[in-house]
Amino acid sequence: MGDQPILRINALTKRFNEFTALHGIDLNVRDGEFLAIVGPSGSGKTTLIRLLVGMDEPTEGAIWLRDSRIDAVPANKRPTCMVFQSLALFPHRSVGQNIEFPLKLRKVAPATRKARALELLELLRLPASYYDKRIDECSGGEKQRVALARALAFDPEILFFDEPLSALDYRLRKTLEKELKDLHRRTGKTFIYITHSLEEAMVMSDRIAIMKAGRFEQIAPAAEIYARPRSRFVAEFMGEVNLFDMVDGRVPGLRFGPRASNLFVGQTGTLVVRPESVALLAPGEEADVALEGIIESEYLLGSRVQYTVAREGAAPVTVEVLRENAVGGPGAPVVMGFGTSACHLIAPEARDAAA
Amino acid sequence: MQRRDRQLGLLYALPIGVFLAVAFLAPILLVAAFSTMPPKVFSIWNMPDFSAYYTVITQGYWKTVAWSLGMSMAATLILFVVCWPLAYGMAKVFGRFSLVLTIGVVMTLFVSENIRLFGWVLTLMKGGLVEGYIRAWTGTGFDGLLYNVPVIVFGLCYVYLPFMLFPLAQGIAMVPEDARAAAFDLGATRWQIFREIELPLAMPGILVGSLLTFVLAAGALAETKLLGGQAVIVIAEEVETAFTYGQNWPLGAALAMVLIVIVGGIAIWGIGRADLDRMMGRR
Amino acid sequence: MRTSRLMGWLLVAYGCAVLAFLYLPLVSVGLASISKARYLTFPIRRYAYDWYGEALASDTVRDLLLVSLKVAGIVTVLSMVIGFLGALAFARYSWRFRKAYQKLILLPIFFPQTVLGLALLMWFNTVGIIPSWKTAVVAHLVWIAPIATLVISIRAYSFDPALEEAARDMGATTWDTLREVTIPLLMPGVISAGLFAFLLSWGNFPLSLFTTGADSTLPEWLYAKMVSGYSPLVPTVGILTVGTSAVLLALGLTAALIFKRARAARNA
Repeated sequence: MGDQPILRINALTKRFNEFTALHGIDLNVRDGEFLAIVGPSGSGKTTLIRLLVGMDEPTEGAIWLRDSRIDAVPANKRPTCMVFQSLALFPHRSVGQNIEFPLKLRKVAPATRKARALELLELLRLPASYYDKRIDECSGGEKQRVALARALAFDPEILFFDEPLSALDYRLRKTLEKELKDLHRRTGKTFIYITHSLEEAMVMSDRIAIMKAGRFEQIAPAAEIYARPRSRFVAEFMGEVNLFDMVDGRVPGLRFGPRASNLFVGQTGTLVVRPESVALLAPGEEADVALEGIIESEYLLGSRVQYTVAREGAAPVTVEVLRENAVGGPGAPVVMGFGTSACHLIAPEARDAAA
Repeated sequence: MQRRDRQLGLLYALPIGVFLAVAFLAPILLVAAFSTMPPKVFSIWNMPDFSAYYTVITQGYWKTVAWSLGMSMAATLILFVVCWPLAYGMAKVFGRFSLVLTIGVVMTLFVSENIRLFGWVLTLMKGGLVEGYIRAWTGTGFDGLLYNVPVIVFGLCYVYLPFMLFPLAQGIAMVPEDARAAAFDLGATRWQIFREIELPLAMPGILVGSLLTFVLAAGALAETKLLGGQAVIVIAEEVETAFTYGQNWPLGAALAMVLIVIVGGIAIWGIGRADLDRMMGRR
Repeated sequence: MRTSRLMGWLLVAYGCAVLAFLYLPLVSVGLASISKARYLTFPIRRYAYDWYGEALASDTVRDLLLVSLKVAGIVTVLSMVIGFLGALAFARYSWRFRKAYQKLILLPIFFPQTVLGLALLMWFNTVGIIPSWKTAVVAHLVWIAPIATLVISIRAYSFDPALEEAARDMGATTWDTLREVTIPLLMPGVISAGLFAFLLSWGNFPLSLFTTGADSTLPEWLYAKMVSGYSPLVPTVGILTVGTSAVLLALGLTAALIFKRARAARNA
């Protein structure tokens, strides 16, 4: 993985009439990286990818591919390509013809084209007999592989993905996520992957960029985003989370032990605690931070149990424990606690910051 | 549920099915029967002798057939070129304007073809709208633009434009936007997208539009009579003449059969290939 | 891949040019109808509306109008009924011969109308029916009923079969389902098919030519006059015919718009 960025985005803005879809965003993508861009629908990720592949032009700002500025270059002149959400396989062409399409456009000799297509079929673990198959005879997963093979035949500098797995069922998606990561490793190409599913992004990518309302909220490796979200939005987006508003080192309803009191003295912000970091305390057991409530509901999550615990005068807390540590059902009063190492404090000014 | 579907389908198809059997298929069979009769008889209870077909072959009727088919082929090609950009606009670019255009074009269909062609006579004749005003402004007139083969082809193009335009627009609308975008992304130029993606994927619409235009133009009569004068005679006119002035029903029937076989053959071939459910948007 | 703004405007301009081209001959007819001269030449020097008065007062024109109206009216009603049922069989139900049936429906539309008219004339003659405006109704229906079927089919295709199943599930009989669910939902399609049917019958010439016998419709009369030499009444009656269609179409479109607005207002 080289240090020189392959793609640089500089103050990129896109406006549609009144509506601003992207607010002057910046991004550097390293050569050979697998970057996932994650955000809810309407966050601007689709607009961004359309600008990156050249389907649209930015209102302001620049896109650099290595040393050349490409934001005004149309998609058919850019050395990048995309795997579409719909896959956009040509229904009137066979599997082989689909894969060879970019080579045919470049006037590559038929024999060379076919050889390359067969190589790619093998790379994607499709039998060579698929060369003559019709697209509508392929299953969902096979189509996915054909689309990938076609994009690889183009030999792009950067391969973009626009949620190509979103239409597949859960198990197939899981298999293909692994295959895609494996393919990334084997080809050494730069992958930029757009998705609304954080789970997908976490499995595959080196770094995740989280988008909200046309801005990046945070760009970092998955583990860091999970442990140290930069904003409430990121914290909540990364899954089930408990958030407590802290003012001057105190949170109503939370009892701080000496270590927590020292750590948070004078601090203001939002305290982030993941449900699996919260423990149910046995009578007399101590914790850095303790709180109490009454179990409202109980959900079984395989080997774990999740409780929603109601608290008087405060928002409910979500707790997730191993099944063997479960303590009775709704109505039971409980005392909960967590350590300072499991806490992360989001400073209030960090909320609006973009990466 | 399925059994009921099958029964209801058959039941509901009955009225129009029976009607077409009696008022469409039976008359065509009758024409076929008549075409085998000896000359100038008015009933089918005679000994068939197929002499009408002999007359059709030996009397040089192939020329009128060739004129009809040639002119309708020319009109089909011209209309394809003229309508493609417009159909493309309607399917992909226009938005609201495409509704205006659709209504505007459909409305002309409701005006009798005669009146519209007559309007062209008034427009193109000597002393008509075009020649009259040019003479008034420049002082020199010309002979009028009517009564030749190109003007007949022009008239065919005019009358059958909607029959090319709408199927074409429907066909282009069936080309998935993503397929075009993907080809573009993979490096295709506009022309390559047209040739590799749009043309083949819009083929059902192109096929239906071309067939419809060709078939209707091949059986057309009014264009030649009103705009063409005596420039050429087309097959439909020969059929009419044989029935009316000639009082030779078997000959008319034989000529009609030639037209029916050509047109019907093309139509059945084309209709057989089109997937109607998909074209008309079945869920 | 976006179509550039310039390209978009060029296409719109092209569309307008095509529309102008389609309507140009009607402009000529319109101008001719208000020319005072008995023998028309452009540019028109003096305008007058006398021919309209003459046309409206003429008995011939009134008879023609009556025949055309009768034919078109009956064709409209029959094609709405036949087309409604035909469309259900065409688009909604899966049954054994559906594909073949769909193709049978399309054939008359492709068929040369002049030949169809002649074939019907021979048929009526053979079975001993004397052609009159009633036989013209049959001739028109051969062409128009399939068109009505197609128009209603478009609506029937977008109709969710689950709605009928839900009605049956709640105990509706076949007739209840038809009356409560199917007919109301397909109504817009049936009405536009009716409008199509009327207008197409009103303007049709090639089918009427051989099948009206002693009666005559407006387009037939116009054709006869056009071929046999110029009459100043031709453009006038032509414009009256076109005007009738235009008014009817305008009424139809307005009604559709009002209906849509009303429904939108109710849903809002």
